[in-house]
Amino acid sequence: MTGRYASFTFVDRITALEPGVAAKGSFHVPAHAGAFPSSLLAEATGQLAAWAAVAKLDFRLRPVAGIAHETIYLGAPRAGDTLETQIRIDSCEDDAVAYQGWCRIGGATVLELHDCVGPMLPLSDFDDPAAMQAFYDVLRTTGAPLDRFAGITIVPLVPLAHEPGRSASARLDVPRDAPYFADHFPRRPVFPGTLLLDRMTTLAAGVASEAAAGRQVFARRVSDVKLRAFTEPGATLTLHAAVEPGGDRAILATLEARAEGQRRAVGGARVEFEVVQ
Amino acid sequence: MAADIPQAQVEAIFPAVAKTIADALGCELDEVKPDASLIEDLGAESIDFLDLVFRLERAFKVKIPRGKIIEDARGDLPEAEFEQKGVITDAGLARLKQFLAEVPADRFKAPLKATDIPRLFTAETFAKLVLRARGEQAGAA
Repeated sequence: MTGRYASFTFVDRITALEPGVAAKGSFHVPAHAGAFPSSLLAEATGQLAAWAAVAKLDFRLRPVAGIAHETIYLGAPRAGDTLETQIRIDSCEDDAVAYQGWCRIGGATVLELHDCVGPMLPLSDFDDPAAMQAFYDVLRTTGAPLDRFAGITIVPLVPLAHEPGRSASARLDVPRDAPYFADHFPRRPVFPGTLLLDRMTTLAAGVASEAAAGRQVFARRVSDVKLRAFTEPGATLTLHAAVEPGGDRAILATLEARAEGQRRAVGGARVEFEVVQ
Repeated sequence: MAADIPQAQVEAIFPAVAKTIADALGCELDEVKPDASLIEDLGAESIDFLDLVFRLERAFKVKIPRGKIIEDARGDLPEAEFEQKGVITDAGLARLKQFLAEVPADRFKAPLKATDIPRLFTAETFAKLVLRARGEQAGAA
């Protein structure tokens, strides 16, 4: 299996499901996958919530992007790991799904998602409902074949401005074509918000490390993630990261992504970096 | 109805509601005046309303059903008498003006599409929304 349900699908199996209420799932990160950004832990957990919501709403609607009020990273994934995801839905209606989520590796929690909200949009605008239902049946029964994910090519940032230890701006040239658009989404390709978040966090991490006298930093807590607009293939975004002064053990940064000519930011978040002592 | 909420209660809760609005919209707190339209003046989009309602629910420990403002404004007026083919009727507009008393009168322009009702909502509208939700929660307890 290549492309569809392989290039940006991070649920291999749904092991427990109460539609609209709760679910558990798993995803094996193939040993050949290479770099697997931590933000994909949130993607895997969010995708499980999406399946639970879509099943509840009879494959009429699906959540797309949205809001994550707080994400806590407690560990980093590696190729060969199996992610065990779990979600609990607070509400699931025609306008939005609200949920909490967790991801564990080997029994240890590596991610907590708190107070996420996904606005609902017509599923048929993004995907073929019948095909999704068929794959859902696979996830609920035999599970999808493992190791079908080939990895992600990370889009490099083009530096634009840099004030060491304080801020940085960079350009992100979203590819016109990339394998993940086959999954995200077949009828309307959109650059995944979790990949955008990874790029913004990486930009901020460089500045935060400078602010910490060159010490390593780890993105521990990401708050107020909000994606306001879809980023199409081929789009150019300007990313900006500003670090707040002070903080010996933790450094706060504000992230923002803007598309040319747009009044409001495409997306934004705040990140608390832990300084590795 | 909105007119039943004492202004002193609105003023008491407003600073906390304004802070929640500023956080949700990513704007400065001093921009969030009571009569500021969230869409026209503060640039809110539909996702911001979702965010705001969830934040208000958490901050004030209340449950705010989706579409509550419009449902409450319509009250006992049958839906067909409130809105026809997506446009608010004269009777519906009168209800809205009465319910959204905090919205400056010149912002109610006929014909008003149902989908444009959120353009009327001000910061004070959300303060009253929280107070009504609190009142209903207390009444149900």
